[in-house]
Amino acid sequence: MRFSSRFALAAIGTSLLLLAGCGKKEATDINIGLAGAQSGSDAQIGISMLNGSRVAIDEWNAKGGVLGKKINPIVFDDEGKSDKAVTVAQTLVDDGVVAVIGHFNSGCTIPASGVYNDAKIIEISPGSTNPKYTEQNFPYAFRICGRDDAQGSVAAAFLRDTLKLDKIAILDDKTSYGEGIADEVKKNFEAKGGQVAMIQGIGKDEHDFRANIDVIKGSGAQALFWGGMYGQGGPLYVQMHQAGLTIPFVSDDGAFDQAMIDTVGANAANIYVTFGKDYHGMPGADAFIKKYNDTFHQAEGAYSVYGYDAANVLFTAMTKAGTTDPDKVAAVMKGQPFDTILGQIEFNEKGDVKQSGYVIWTIKDGKFQVLTGNP
Amino acid sequence: MTAETLPATSTLAAILIDGVVRGAVYALVALGYTMVYGVLGMINFAHGEVFMIGMFACVYAIGAMSVGWGDHLVLNLFVGTLVAMVFSAAYGYANERIAYRRLRKAHVLAPLTSAIGVSTFLQYFIFLTVSKQNVNFPRYYSDWLTNSHLHLVFFDVTYLQIAIVVVTLVIMAALFYFINMTRMGIALRATAQDQLMAGLVGIPVNRVIAFTFILGSALAAIAGVMVAMYYDVLGFDAGYRVGLKAFTAAILGGIGNVPGAVLGALIVGVSESLTTYWYGSEWSDVTTFVVLMLVLLLRPRGLLGERVADKV
Repeated sequence: MRFSSRFALAAIGTSLLLLAGCGKKEATDINIGLAGAQSGSDAQIGISMLNGSRVAIDEWNAKGGVLGKKINPIVFDDEGKSDKAVTVAQTLVDDGVVAVIGHFNSGCTIPASGVYNDAKIIEISPGSTNPKYTEQNFPYAFRICGRDDAQGSVAAAFLRDTLKLDKIAILDDKTSYGEGIADEVKKNFEAKGGQVAMIQGIGKDEHDFRANIDVIKGSGAQALFWGGMYGQGGPLYVQMHQAGLTIPFVSDDGAFDQAMIDTVGANAANIYVTFGKDYHGMPGADAFIKKYNDTFHQAEGAYSVYGYDAANVLFTAMTKAGTTDPDKVAAVMKGQPFDTILGQIEFNEKGDVKQSGYVIWTIKDGKFQVLTGNP
Repeated sequence: MTAETLPATSTLAAILIDGVVRGAVYALVALGYTMVYGVLGMINFAHGEVFMIGMFACVYAIGAMSVGWGDHLVLNLFVGTLVAMVFSAAYGYANERIAYRRLRKAHVLAPLTSAIGVSTFLQYFIFLTVSKQNVNFPRYYSDWLTNSHLHLVFFDVTYLQIAIVVVTLVIMAALFYFINMTRMGIALRATAQDQLMAGLVGIPVNRVIAFTFILGSALAAIAGVMVAMYYDVLGFDAGYRVGLKAFTAAILGGIGNVPGAVLGALIVGVSESLTTYWYGSEWSDVTTFVVLMLVLLLRPRGLLGERVADKV
């Protein structure tokens, strides 16, 4: 009796699974992969990026979808880890996605891009800035944000020309992203005649920076550049100040998150990060921000707009191409300009955005604001 | 805006001090590893997670209290630490009761595997139910310890750093006294030597072993609170890295030996700090394990581990 009821349950469960399986392969849907860090230390920035894309998907579906078909997002968490990202990429390929929006971390996007390229799937990353991603010459790889060579040179110019410093220290988190941007800053700062007194890497799970701070102090560096994310950047800044080291703290787009301000405090001084231009007040920005806040009941993140723009560009290109065929969609994407919240953008042959302007932001009144004038 | 270069001696002094504090942090966790090993001869890999649970329990308790009856600095911190100890002790006891007790007479690999399972389970349990992201320790409660300095000749130390080192040494001394001088300590050592014989002479073996877990876990909670203050952040994986280093330290000092755990931890901490000074922090893991290998080549049972021969 007991056995048979269990058996019946199992049978029902299996048939439900089969039904779910059928639903997934609905031919009238366009499957789009959404991949990025949704857990771990980069969760906040990763989730808000994917949520931006979700807003765009909802809008398109409300208008009747793309090419008359409903967009079906398939979401996966890569935990910000390279190995996990490759598994996610393979799963998305198996699920039959026609394009992927993601990933977030460069260390995830780069290894995953090989999988997507082999499967002829368009990948458009809203937030991976390491140049290597598009330097692989994959025909289907795009990004909507800038590159670290551009970002690094803006940071180095700020340190050397604006702050007029001769000697800096650099610390990075040893990831493709953090080490990549740290090397760019070093290269550009030295090209401008500056001196890098110290460059070191530290594991991404380490939170005790005291020994590094001692070395920075001893090196006589006039500023620190942190190549990494807010998860470590915040505690690093706090520990520097506890040790009485108040030199300027310069960092990258990875430190551009509300969580950074939550850690360092609203009145934290001397923090400068490079990020894309301010989109507040641009056409469509207010509507997007309102929709985002209404949907998710929280403020948008640093890369939400980029996630939204990436999705819009992708769906617009599919509509214009009249198909989801990757070769034709990629040709459309590279062939014409697109209107986004971040302004009109065009892709070059590599899949990079031609118009990417990094500017220096600072923390003021409890939020990030574009730095105006000299600090 | 210009910082003058400090003399090299001053930097080295600061490096050594920070290395000692880093070592003391590892030592607080290593004591838990070494106690359980000393009694049961098993490595409790879930100890790092018990430490992490202590961190979360304290932060959430403090959060609840400041909402409940306001920001009373010392009171909330004290009660928060007590709550952390209770939570960690409960988890430590539950681990022993559920995952290890039944396996006590099994092959040595069985409880070890079980411990690794518990460790993974607890990490993802906290990850899924409490927080997927890092949480900041409330700075209102840590600033008075981290921003107050004691100026000495070549360097200065924060009150929190002094507290960490002092608490480590006090706990080490207390444990040493407890194990060697008290009645319960005698029961503990008897259980470690031979559980069957200890049971025959009327020692409540199960209770003694459970007590070891409760004590070690409560100590881990104290460590968790101080480390959360010291690092400023905590996350579901916070126990992993510190746990790994603490475990290494316990092996280095001679696992099963209380002063050995502290000595091993101090060596690991100082060597990491010095590596950062000489070669850069990217090499700190390399030197730690090179030191471990060299020590184990010369003294296979660790620096102070001499009477472990009858253990395995």
